[in-house]
Amino acid sequence: MKGPLFFALAAEYLDVIYINIWSIIVSLANLLILYLILKKLLFKPVTKVVSARREKVDGMLREAQEAKEKAEQDRETYAAQLSHAQEDAAEVMRRAAQSANRTGDEIIRAAETRAQEMLKRADEDIAQEKKKAVNEMKEELSGISLTIAEKVVGREIKEQDHKKLIDDFISEVGEDHE
Amino acid sequence: MTDRSRVRARVVDGLLIAMMILPFVGCILLKILFTPASEGITIAGPQIYLTVPMPLQPLYISESTVVSAAVVIAVIGLCLYLTHGIKEVPDSKRQLVAEFIVEKVTDFVGENMGARFIGFAPFVTAILALSALSSMSSLFGLYSPTSDINIVAGWAVLVFILITHYKLRGGLGNYLKSFGDPIPIFYPFNVISEIATPVSMTFRHYGNILSGAVISTLIATVLAKLSNLLLSLTHNFYIANIPFLRVGLPAVLSLYFDVFSSVLQAYIFAMLTMLFISGGYPEEAVEKRREKRAAKKAAKEAKKSEEAAAKQ
Repeated sequence: MKGPLFFALAAEYLDVIYINIWSIIVSLANLLILYLILKKLLFKPVTKVVSARREKVDGMLREAQEAKEKAEQDRETYAAQLSHAQEDAAEVMRRAAQSANRTGDEIIRAAETRAQEMLKRADEDIAQEKKKAVNEMKEELSGISLTIAEKVVGREIKEQDHKKLIDDFISEVGEDHE
Repeated sequence: MTDRSRVRARVVDGLLIAMMILPFVGCILLKILFTPASEGITIAGPQIYLTVPMPLQPLYISESTVVSAAVVIAVIGLCLYLTHGIKEVPDSKRQLVAEFIVEKVTDFVGENMGARFIGFAPFVTAILALSALSSMSSLFGLYSPTSDINIVAGWAVLVFILITHYKLRGGLGNYLKSFGDPIPIFYPFNVISEIATPVSMTFRHYGNILSGAVISTLIATVLAKLSNLLLSLTHNFYIANIPFLRVGLPAVLSLYFDVFSSVLQAYIFAMLTMLFISGGYPEEAVEKRREKRAAKKAAKEAKKSEEAAAKQ
């Protein structure tokens, strides 16, 4: 520097053509620095944003495509289901009728069985009651016949002595009666 | 978005715009302060602001150094401004501009260098921006750093390093052998042409910009002299010194030399960079080398496993 600032009387110039190794190195460094700066401050953020946007758009498109395919699939599925539904309904009706018939039959059969059982038991009861009544009557009859015999004979008949006799008689009478 | 954050964003924007403009203003001020008033029109190299003693050669902080630093700072400001408030869904014009720049340069690089060298997009952008803006700084009356041979030489050296780096990917033997192509007699010529690449790039760019500046200066001088000659007929000293012929033609010339030529030279430099780097890349040799390495590795591993098996 020749003089102080503001008072420069004679400027110092370099030649039009001169070679200075330091100038070359400084300039090289300048370009390198500018490259790094552009890479970091311009290309990196812009590329990031652009690729993020592209990804987003691609994702949206893919989603739309998928949704469309799914809708198409669903439509086909529903159409198929609709066509099958009537068959299914008929099948269900048929099955229900079948099962109802079967159940009805079973109920009737069970009722019949039960009724027969009850009849059988009633018959048995009646037979038993009859037997019982017959026995009672026999006993009473033996008593009556003894009394009658006493009255007829006039004296007391020893029950032990004549028991056999009377019983035979009664059983004969019963046999006849029966 | 709240009011406060909006205000903050505005303030940051203002600062970034200032970061783009202020370096050039500073350069202009520096030039005004350091240039004596009665200099006249001269054709000289860049003005020296400061000389730093260094080994081999002194380091000059000259006008070209300062202006190229200003360009770098302005480009940083531009980058920050364009990507400020960047969003996934763009709502500002500047984001569209940023995306446009990135997309165009990436496409440009992909077209000229192929997908392998797509990472060169920021480098090519740096060359384009630095070269074009440096050349165009003469619009502000500053000394174009690109009319300083050392500045352009620095870029060309970097490009040469990159070219050599990618050529060496094919192996040193392949690199040395490639000079004897198509016949060994061509060896020295090929070496010279290899060295001539950065030199020619430097001289092309530097020569174009400097010659533009020189022609502009010469024409401006001639026009001033001519108008002086015409107006001296009035025999009035003050009227005779009005360079009225300078109105018009220098502006058109400036449009060509400062704007068109600047952009053109930046484009040419970037184009040559891309072509030399991708053109010099020995793809076959690299592929062969990679296969060889893979085979070697596989053989080694096979041997190892064999040994292990033998041990067992």
